[in-house]
Amino acid sequence: MQRRAVVTGLGIVSPVGIGSEATWDALVSGRSGIADITLFDATQFDPHVAGEVKGFDATAFMDPKDARRHDRNTHFAVAATGEALRDAGLLGENGLVGADVDADRFGMVFGTGIGGIGIMLEGHRTLLERGPRRVSPFMLPHMLPDSASGQVAIQYGIRGPNMAIVSACATGGHAVGEAMETIVRGQADIMLGAGTEAPLVPLAFAGFGQMRALGTPRDPDTGEYDAAMASRPFDATRDGFVVSEGSAVLVIEELEHARARGARPIAEVIGYGSSADAFDMAAPAERGEGNQRAMRAALSRAGIGPEAVDYINAHGTSTPLNDRYETMAIREVFGEHADRLAVSSTKSMIGHAMGAAGAIEAYVCAKVLATGCIPPTINYRHPDPELTLDYVPNTARAADVRVALSNSMGLGGHNSSVILRRLED
Amino acid sequence: MGRSRLRRDPARRAVVTGLGAVTPIGNDVATFWSSLTAGTSGIATITLFDPSDLEVRIAAEVKAFEPRDWMDFKQARRMSRFAQLAVAAARQAIDDSGLEIGDHNRDDVAVVVNTGGGGVQEVAAGEDTLTSRGADRVSPFMVPMMSPSMAAAQISIQNGIRGPVITSVAACASGVQAFLEAQRLIERGDVDVVIAGGTESAIIPVSFAALANMGALSKRNDDPTAASRPFDADRDGFVFGEGAGVLVMEAAEHADARGAAILADVPGGALTGDAFHISAPDPSGYGATLAMRRAVGDAGLEMEQVQYVVAHGTSTPLNDATETRAIRAAFGEHADRLAVSSNKSMVGHTLGAAGAISALAAVLAIRDGLIPPTINYSRPDPACDLDYVPNEARRQRVNVAITNGFGFGGQNAVTVFSRHAG
Repeated sequence: MQRRAVVTGLGIVSPVGIGSEATWDALVSGRSGIADITLFDATQFDPHVAGEVKGFDATAFMDPKDARRHDRNTHFAVAATGEALRDAGLLGENGLVGADVDADRFGMVFGTGIGGIGIMLEGHRTLLERGPRRVSPFMLPHMLPDSASGQVAIQYGIRGPNMAIVSACATGGHAVGEAMETIVRGQADIMLGAGTEAPLVPLAFAGFGQMRALGTPRDPDTGEYDAAMASRPFDATRDGFVVSEGSAVLVIEELEHARARGARPIAEVIGYGSSADAFDMAAPAERGEGNQRAMRAALSRAGIGPEAVDYINAHGTSTPLNDRYETMAIREVFGEHADRLAVSSTKSMIGHAMGAAGAIEAYVCAKVLATGCIPPTINYRHPDPELTLDYVPNTARAADVRVALSNSMGLGGHNSSVILRRLED
Repeated sequence: MGRSRLRRDPARRAVVTGLGAVTPIGNDVATFWSSLTAGTSGIATITLFDPSDLEVRIAAEVKAFEPRDWMDFKQARRMSRFAQLAVAAARQAIDDSGLEIGDHNRDDVAVVVNTGGGGVQEVAAGEDTLTSRGADRVSPFMVPMMSPSMAAAQISIQNGIRGPVITSVAACASGVQAFLEAQRLIERGDVDVVIAGGTESAIIPVSFAALANMGALSKRNDDPTAASRPFDADRDGFVFGEGAGVLVMEAAEHADARGAAILADVPGGALTGDAFHISAPDPSGYGATLAMRRAVGDAGLEMEQVQYVVAHGTSTPLNDATETRAIRAAFGEHADRLAVSSNKSMVGHTLGAAGAISALAAVLAIRDGLIPPTINYSRPDPACDLDYVPNEARRQRVNVAITNGFGFGGQNAVTVFSRHAG
């Protein structure tokens, strides 16, 4: 019999809240988490807005000594995982995965776009200013993209298959999809499908600024400065994305395994598709051609037709090209059914958390299926004549959503799509 | 134990049909293999930057690599060196396999090329520009160049490959992990062909400073070729290296249908986490033992069928003793009949490429019946008491080889390679 992968726990640290309750409340209320940068003096950069995680104290989630040595992306990962494990009923009283679970058959795919860039830059500065012997011996293992997956395993005692996946901004979707496939294939009974990112360093703003990729923090109607208006996915005035940070964790578990231990499945992960544009290292392929193939592959893996899908959590970055091509790709794949889809972009509120984005958005899909409430695309005021889908503008919507698809695309032409289904007995 | 719970379709078994290498001991497979079996060290004083104020000044660098031999100049300029090495190795592997990539198959080919640090060179260079010359002088290509996923992405772009393009990172286990991912994509029928491997190029001052301060690196600055001495009693750390290794893997039925020469099968593998420490291996070697047992089980083989272990063998005091213990625990009495060798004695530790370079050694050992040695082995360590194929290559038919890759943070990846069963 085919093994089925279900979501049994959720955890999140995001610019709109630490924890699932705070985050979900903000998302369905349409609250933006984007504001002026406070993590460093960013006045030399224009724009200087970001989706920062606010009021986050790593020592609330990990030993202060570990916290000091690790990068912020690892802090987020550890915090979000703790919440997800508790939600799934997997955390024992000693802070480790419970003794009733086989930790060797519990693994993770913990994605990130860039890993510990903060730690790496700190080491580089130390080298230049104070010499090679002052560079931290912890720098190297803590800057690698898989240091979050390593520390999460250590902190919670999770000993099965363990890796980080990196596919730029498509990472989160790949992580959730690969975690699901690991379970279906029988190589683990529980997997974390997750992403984390903490890219808010000056260099990132210099690099993205030079790419002319960032959104303008102004009200497009009044021209007044407004940080929260910088991300305007699908709006005719959109002009770039907002860099943000955070982590989301889905506990994905084999259905019978979940039932046997009395866990409460939130949704089922039924489809995963992955493709490459083979086109350009920065620009997406014409008409979202690669995105189309990823969505088709995910539908085929799920064994459902396009008309079975009710909701798409769009990649929706708020760049002119992405939103246009993604809309085209959705029209190509879904045909007439595209007009019956609800399509919204979480990035309107959270910004673009790079390697964490796909995991955050898979989290949103699971919550939509569980609650029947679709969070909106905020800052949507000026319909773009070419972009004619239902983007759930500005206000959350109650809807009977049975199947949700999440799109992720990344620099270099990576595409991933995952499909979740409401679990019905 | 640990055996995959699904039945496997022999037609979808993953096989190897092409190899590519850019390494400190040769920039193509033939040179790499003749150097490796001749026991030639690729370790020397650092030339890529001036190392004079560093405590450790030796590395295993790729020598005389000319990107323009493998890609056009403009593209090469917009690629970090780790991506250039990977694109070159992939070009070789694809040519070796005789695979034509075109409209008929480009959606059914995937790329899984892993790395440890990706474009850390670009991060360091970008930060230097930002601090010395200002934000508006930072290259608009910096972000895409530094992304660890860009080696895989560039291979896709350069070769018109449109299937899944994935980069997974498991520190020093990354290179081994790539083949597990590739095997999975092939067996579950997502694609017919995977360009799989690992790449690393992080020969920059901050890497050496950090690794030296960890106490991880050998300090034999005055005797570079003797610095990497895995399993030897006088080993004092690893030598940091760079390189790339790439395999063309495909479904057996696909290779047969196009009449490709099959170099080896990839019947199984496994990945585990120690959940122990961010940089030290679990001294019990439990995770490593588990990964070896699961990998051989996953391949449907018995432990006694394994003849050759391409060791992780980094030349650090801790790794080599722990790995020896783990091999003994995994294989029991059969451990004394195994040939165990470490190519890091010659190519150094190339982090994310190490597992891929080990895979080349495994496949070539199976092809040629020749096991490359562990060089610089002169004084036995009581804690390392296996047959490490000391100093000279050995003629021996190899039917089954495994490659070990263990990473910071306790990732353990093992891949099984076997003589083609067709």
